Amino acid sequence: MDKCPFHDAFAEHRKQGDAIPITFDDEEITMILGFKAVRSAARDFGSFSSDAPFRVPIPSEEDVRTVRQLPIELDPPKHKTYRALVEPFFRRPLAPEYAEKVSDLIEELLLDASGKENIEIVRDFALPLQSRALTYLFNVDESEAEIWTGWGIHVFRDGKADAKDDFSLEDYINRKFDEAEASPEQPDFFSTLAYAEIEGERLTRDEMVGFANLAFAGGRDTIIQSVSSVFALFGMQPELLNKIRSDSSLINTATEEFFRMVTPLTHIGRVNTENREVHGVETKQDQRISLCWASANYDETVFKDADTFCPDRKPNPHIAFGNGAHTCAGAHHARLIMRTLLRLIADLNIDIKLIDLTENIEKQNDYERRTGFESLIVKLNRTTTSS
Amino acid sequence: MARLTFITESGDNVVADDAFGTLMEVARDHEVEGIDGACGGVCSCATCHVKVHPDWLAKVGPATEVEQELLDLEDETDNRSRLSCQIEVTEELDGLVVEVVTL
Repeated sequence: MDKCPFHDAFAEHRKQGDAIPITFDDEEITMILGFKAVRSAARDFGSFSSDAPFRVPIPSEEDVRTVRQLPIELDPPKHKTYRALVEPFFRRPLAPEYAEKVSDLIEELLLDASGKENIEIVRDFALPLQSRALTYLFNVDESEAEIWTGWGIHVFRDGKADAKDDFSLEDYINRKFDEAEASPEQPDFFSTLAYAEIEGERLTRDEMVGFANLAFAGGRDTIIQSVSSVFALFGMQPELLNKIRSDSSLINTATEEFFRMVTPLTHIGRVNTENREVHGVETKQDQRISLCWASANYDETVFKDADTFCPDRKPNPHIAFGNGAHTCAGAHHARLIMRTLLRLIADLNIDIKLIDLTENIEKQNDYERRTGFESLIVKLNRTTTSS
Repeated sequence: MARLTFITESGDNVVADDAFGTLMEVARDHEVEGIDGACGGVCSCATCHVKVHPDWLAKVGPATEVEQELLDLEDETDNRSRLSCQIEVTEELDGLVVEVVTL
């Protein structure tokens, strides 16, 4: 078994320059690789637009949804107006009572898991954690998480929610908005959107669904992958966990290092607005570019020993949550979950023994990248310390 | 220990009398509006931006290279801009005044 679940999938690609042409599912895409080049391009909406329904994710999602995801598939300044509608929900994790709920949840899950012979982390720990924590973000009843857990790891591409003909996510979202519209306004995510207005006009149903679609899809496999990686790395390198256990000031820096090395979203797409050369690669108008976060976060000109997990790395200007106007709205939520998880694994004296794992490999013609686990079986032991 | 003043975008003055740690940590402890410090101080997020009062620029000093590169990407920054997570509070900074400017 490897000693590290992460790797730099783009080291050889970066040697060719800040951008390279790649083929992704038969689509010609210009992939931007260097840290500074990615960060600059992420902010250059004049050249690389997000105003492109279905085409911001790579692979594109024409076949798995019917609506534009909001606010991500908009450019500023319109993007800012739309994002402001949901921003208060994504700032909820900053409240102490929210942090306390997340802590209680993770403690419950850890104690439950540590009482078992072993546990499959991806589906039996990370998925319920992500689903239950999302109810806090949406400010809905926690029982709703039972439905969400049933959707699997990725709402579009996991098990039964896999085909265009089966829009179970959109069906569910539409039902929630039907319910919200039939009731007086409530302080939850669905009701807020159902009653939201922009310039005096209520949102269309497609816009409401677009917001909810992104909120469900964007924070699902990303959080699951990040959470799973904690168990994998500490299982492979228990000395790292001991280091954090003996120095709680490392919890924050280690969390950020997890995000840098995991970079759950390999890349995101933008649409090139006119024929141009992108760092030496001729790119046609309407052709997509990839902002490759997973390459940028391993750029050795910025991150020394980029392939090594350094729990005390600081500064760590990673762009795992993107950069600029579209920086992940769920970052507060994700950071809270990961910091809390690290703190509790340390404080509860939980040791992690790896039993078995099956990696997920994102495989394209031009690269292969590990993106978390199909399955990760561990045994959690609570040890007692002598005082 | 130092006395620091944060002037928020709403015009409030938040005074911290017993400040220690980084400026961002002090701001968060005092719930200064506009300072999230989302990344906890590793220079990844720019959610703790302040503009240093002109009288204090020399004592606070310039931004680090990584910090400056982050600031250079933003429209609302100038030569008074710093990320408060990168400023360690010392007694030399007793009396410091900064304006909070969200990016």
